[in-house]
Amino acid sequence: MLAQDLINNIVNIQFWLSSPSLLYNIIGIVLYIIIVFILFSVFGYLIGWLERKLIARAQYRHGPTYVGMWGLLQNMADLIKLLSKQDIVPEKADRVLFAISLPALLALSIFIILIIPYSPNLQATNLGLGMLIVFVIIAFTPLLLFTAGFSSGNKFAAISAQRSVLVLLGYELPMLISVAAVALIGGGYSLQAIVSAQSGYYYLLLMPIGFVVFFIALLAEFERPPFDLREADSELIAGWLTDVSAPYYALALYLDYARMFLGSIIVSILFLGGWLGPSYLPPLVWLVAKAIAVSVLVILIRATAFRMRVDRVLRFGWLWLVPLSLINLVMTYIIFVK
Amino acid sequence: MIRMAITRINVGPIHPSTHGVARLVVDVDGDTIVNVEPHVGFLHRGVEKLTETRMYMQAPPYMEKLDYFAPMAYNDAYVAAVEAAMDIQPSEKAKYVRTILLELQRLASHLVSIGTLCNDLGQMFTGFMWAFKDRDIILDLLQEATGSRMFYVNMRLGGLHSELPADFEEHAITTMNYIEKRIGEYESYIEKNTVFMERMKGVGVLSSEDAKALGVTGPVLRASGINYDVRKNSPYYAYSKLYFNPKVMLQGDNFSRYKVRMMEMRESARLVKAAIKAMPDGAATGMPVKLRSPNAVNKVSVVSREVPRGECMMYLVADPQKPYRLSIRSPSMVNLAAISHIAKGARFADLFSIFGTLDVVLGCVDR
Amino acid sequence: MKAERDSLPATVGKMATEGYDYLVKITAVDYVDHIDVLYVVRDIAASKDQILEVALAPQDLWVPTIMSIHPSADWYERELSEMFGIRIDGRSAPRLFLEKWDGVDPPLRKSFKWDVPYRTKETESK
Repeated sequence: MLAQDLINNIVNIQFWLSSPSLLYNIIGIVLYIIIVFILFSVFGYLIGWLERKLIARAQYRHGPTYVGMWGLLQNMADLIKLLSKQDIVPEKADRVLFAISLPALLALSIFIILIIPYSPNLQATNLGLGMLIVFVIIAFTPLLLFTAGFSSGNKFAAISAQRSVLVLLGYELPMLISVAAVALIGGGYSLQAIVSAQSGYYYLLLMPIGFVVFFIALLAEFERPPFDLREADSELIAGWLTDVSAPYYALALYLDYARMFLGSIIVSILFLGGWLGPSYLPPLVWLVAKAIAVSVLVILIRATAFRMRVDRVLRFGWLWLVPLSLINLVMTYIIFVK
Repeated sequence: MIRMAITRINVGPIHPSTHGVARLVVDVDGDTIVNVEPHVGFLHRGVEKLTETRMYMQAPPYMEKLDYFAPMAYNDAYVAAVEAAMDIQPSEKAKYVRTILLELQRLASHLVSIGTLCNDLGQMFTGFMWAFKDRDIILDLLQEATGSRMFYVNMRLGGLHSELPADFEEHAITTMNYIEKRIGEYESYIEKNTVFMERMKGVGVLSSEDAKALGVTGPVLRASGINYDVRKNSPYYAYSKLYFNPKVMLQGDNFSRYKVRMMEMRESARLVKAAIKAMPDGAATGMPVKLRSPNAVNKVSVVSREVPRGECMMYLVADPQKPYRLSIRSPSMVNLAAISHIAKGARFADLFSIFGTLDVVLGCVDR
Repeated sequence: MKAERDSLPATVGKMATEGYDYLVKITAVDYVDHIDVLYVVRDIAASKDQILEVALAPQDLWVPTIMSIHPSADWYERELSEMFGIRIDGRSAPRLFLEKWDGVDPPLRKSFKWDVPYRTKETESK
């Protein structure tokens, strides 16, 4: 009976959670955690590998080749190396803040991971305000980076911390305004509802301006080039990561890729129809495929873009993104709602 | 703008963008630079003193280590100073071959400069790798001609270590055609990028009066509108016989310094082709490394050469056995000294693009 | 071209007004019985160089600074005082920069000994 259910409903979390049996509920929770963990660790890892490979190809290089097939295990080797190194906490650092800010960042990402749906049945809970909560948590991350930067007691990290708040000032607003436009035609803030509302046309086609604004704002939010001001390696050595050593650095690298994958999933859900697609592939595969396509775009931007300067970043945010997102909102209201 | 107390930031000597081991102590007010103080000397090897203890032709390997991106240019300047002290004239063929090799060296060096500049502006190594790939093709050519890729030590009194291989001319011309095509690709790839142009135009301006007063040389001087190129103003080797125009820009900002190098690369590729076409017959091989004494004691020779980074002046006081005193005017040193003037008032992020456009090699600064 | 030490700033200033307004290099040569300090100045428009030689006696090593005329003299004068032990008059003890050399023998002088341990002014006074 249980085995039968397991085979039939392995990714149907709703089936397990809605069952009256407590055992089934617990199995559902464990299954969900395992699936989401595998999803993010495997694809976070793969995107890390993909980034190295793609950027290498853009630069006439081969990227990792020796460890594993096509260098697939290179990142694993790097991870082992980083984990086996000494963890150094700088003398000037605020030890507590320094120790908790990166794990807290991971915890925040896990929050978002648990809230967003991956297919009609693969979701922990269908919150009516799901999207709003996701963006509240995303808005909280720069503050954590700020504490992480200041707690290490390094001047480069402090500059990077200031910059992360500046970027927050410039890009949070356009991002939320373009999300509001999505909520306007998606009929609310439930992510499930937004995806099912895209069964006709993806929102990418309905509001291309909103997509562009949201994509750029998300690049800034997840510190991807050309907005990688926080981690500007040619200016600030490694920004807020300058004094972060071995295991924490591995965590930071993993977070970098996992958050990129997470951001791509959010873009896919909001604008690319999420898990919708022809039925010969399961919904989850569609979502992951779309997310990987978005990630490839992000990586290719990284391979070519020059870093913007702080004042230019703010100017660009307020002079272009905010008006464009407002125009998008108004146009969406006039065309689709009225 | 938020006013903060003036913060002192120590950049380097271990920093990804100092191109070696420069240390810049930067005072910033918020994001604006108030003062930059370069600290050098981390690579000081006492090259000038070392040459006083070596025979004449034992010194070139030291000269090559001054500037690891354009070793041959410094070697040539030294050998030319020794030749002047000993009244040796290189053969006509040797003059052309030296011109060709030095222009190839300039191309290789400028490519590194453009590549690292892309990196300083925050690009993920793409421009850097592209430039290094093309530099590698030029290094292949230099290897063909000299047998070595990094440190050539191929200059001899009155010529070179060996003749050019038979198919060198053909290879050089195809390579130069390819490089010219690639330079166009770089320009379209870099200069159409708005972020790049925003960060280069009008940033780090050095007026022509200041350029003169600060004594900057080479592309930095020419980018500030002062037309001085040793190759044109006091021509040596085949430069007087080849049609050639120094490249000058008037604005003196980051972009002009970058653009002057780009135009010089075009000009170098053209010069190589022209020199190959005009090359006379004859032998280019110089004397073997057999030491010959200059005729007079304390004979002074002053030789200036346009190396990729600017003007390198060798002041040699000759003795029968060894150089009595060799004083090297390092172009990197004067250009680096100018950074405290140029970067004043710029933003902190621009410090690195300014440093990149000055194109300083620290081995040459410290000697 | 010979120049007098005392009138050096005046000479360099006069040459700057005559067109030699670009300082190429300041260096020195130790001829044991005297030290020549050389100022290479250039007329860029005419592309002519002029070398001013100031001869100093080994007991009396100082030259006046020319930084007010050529700001680019800054690092050369610092190098001169560090490598040759020549005092630059008119500048308050310029910060050493190439080697932070505080030894007794300035390295580029002919009296410099290669084969003795590093001697500083402190160890010498003991």
